[in-house]
Amino acid sequence: MNRFSLALSRGIARVTESALGPYQTAVIRIGFSATWLLFLLREFPHRQELYGPDGPWSRDLAEQLIGTNGAFTALMWFDGRVWFETVYALAVLAGVLLLLGWRTRTMSVLFMVGVLSLQNRSVFMGDGGDNVLHLMSIYLVFTRCAQVWSLDARRAPRARAARIRGERVTDRTGPALWGVLGCALLTVTLVGRMQGDWLIPALLWTVWAAQALWWLAGRRAGSGEPRIVLDVVANVVHNGALLVIMAEACLIYATAGWYKIQGSRWQDGTAVYYPLHLESFSPWPALADLLSASGTLVMLVTYGTVLVQVAFPFTLFNRRVKNVLLAVMITEHAAIAVVLGLPFFSLAMIAADAVFLPTSFLRRLGAGTARVRNRVLCRRAERVRMPGQRGPGSPGSPGSPEATHVGFGA
Amino acid sequence: MLSLRYRVVVALALAVVAVGVCVHLGMTFLHVAPANTVSRQHGEAVDEWIYPEFEQNWKLFAPNPLQQNISVQVRASVRGTDGMTVTSGWYDLSAEDGRAIDGNLLPSHTQQNELRRAWDFFVATHDSQNRPVGLRGALSEAYLRRIAVLRLDRNDAVRATTGGGGVLEGVQVRSRTTNVPPPEWSREKVSTTPSYRELPWWKVPRDEALGGVR
Repeated sequence: MNRFSLALSRGIARVTESALGPYQTAVIRIGFSATWLLFLLREFPHRQELYGPDGPWSRDLAEQLIGTNGAFTALMWFDGRVWFETVYALAVLAGVLLLLGWRTRTMSVLFMVGVLSLQNRSVFMGDGGDNVLHLMSIYLVFTRCAQVWSLDARRAPRARAARIRGERVTDRTGPALWGVLGCALLTVTLVGRMQGDWLIPALLWTVWAAQALWWLAGRRAGSGEPRIVLDVVANVVHNGALLVIMAEACLIYATAGWYKIQGSRWQDGTAVYYPLHLESFSPWPALADLLSASGTLVMLVTYGTVLVQVAFPFTLFNRRVKNVLLAVMITEHAAIAVVLGLPFFSLAMIAADAVFLPTSFLRRLGAGTARVRNRVLCRRAERVRMPGQRGPGSPGSPGSPEATHVGFGA
Repeated sequence: MLSLRYRVVVALALAVVAVGVCVHLGMTFLHVAPANTVSRQHGEAVDEWIYPEFEQNWKLFAPNPLQQNISVQVRASVRGTDGMTVTSGWYDLSAEDGRAIDGNLLPSHTQQNELRRAWDFFVATHDSQNRPVGLRGALSEAYLRRIAVLRLDRNDAVRATTGGGGVLEGVQVRSRTTNVPPPEWSREKVSTTPSYRELPWWKVPRDEALGGVR
């Protein structure tokens, strides 16, 4: 009993005193926002057909369906082309800023609003990749995903240093952003556009109120206890969300794997042959023929796929085996991206896989990225010969190895 | 050390998050698992929790991958400037999508998902006599019709049919299902004769006949 209570208190200490997995949450933040951003840019020419008011899934049809399921979409708040273009542009902007980690909590909320607004507007346009993004955009809101590799992580120590020097640091951007978004939220609620399911509106209001609390606690002098409590609560929420994200990834693999086991084609070792010969999933027919020329090879890939998917959740108990399987799955998804023509699905899955990457690997990746960035910037600076511009490099690009575990705003 | 008041706040937050995480994961598990004793008993609670934002389906290619190519084809009925109604030939829209995907590193959702999922939606919301089931059945018909009109417009079908001007009055959709031929190294034999499912003619509303998405 004593040992149990000791373990429990140690566990509580762990989930309260820090937001775990700073590199893992940062890499999925970058991964999911990049996937969504690339998708939006790729579909820019098709945006009207996919989500526009006059697309095949017209506003009228969407309205009827949303009337029955109550899904959240800002696109239905107002009618017309202008509103649609605005929402699309804001979704792109939120994607960029979340990628860079600027005012990350706020941007994660706007990112979620962008993802849900477009996807829920036209649910029949999406595939598994959209589904992953949909869920993860909600989960990301609860995480402190900008502790490293972000603009926020660069700003925090600077502000702290200034405070130590005795300077007064006043943040104008934060409160301004909070005020503008609060007004927007209030307006939309008051004019009665926030109909449907209560979950997302409640989440929006909660985050908005929490931001205000955080700001107030930071301003108040005294023992600083409220600030510490908020910090602890934010850690607990972050750690809970991280657990949900990891469990969700495991559920994806488990369902995909266990259902496949029941299929006759996965049992007789020919399953992989078939998607390669479906019109929608065969951008390279010659390559598909080459890959399926050998029955033995197809059988090995078929069995391997099921094996890896079913086994993955259990390998989390062994670091080394987990890492091997992770490498296999990331490789398989990279192959699927090209062979089956599913680049965005694969990118989203790789981003989800990345939450399981080991910290040491991610730090090396970050350091490597920083080196490459510096080299490129130096070369450019030499060519231009403008020493004044040789700064610390493009802000927010992944990989400032020194910026570790920086506490940042809620 | 925090004062008692704040320790209570932290303990509360811990409890809420712990319960929230457990319930959410449990509900998600029941949602993705096959129908079972627990999910049958509490199906309503699970649906209440999951829909609309946490819906998920990870059964692509499972339990079995699709082993048939389903082509959605459409033809138009056009009233020419002379008042005569002419029927066009069949346009294979899925084949058009397939060609757009060929050699494409970044296939668009409009080429890969739109028509394929619209057809799945139609099939899922209609009985074998092509009668719609519920509101979703009606929605899927309108959706499929609008896609057909949009694609016909892109193919310049009216001009191709009448050789000049005209108005699109109706569309007819059919599906052509062909088995993927079994691999060369397998001894299996399947028929490769296509089977068709032909839907009734649908009238195209006047404002829609102009082509949809600009």
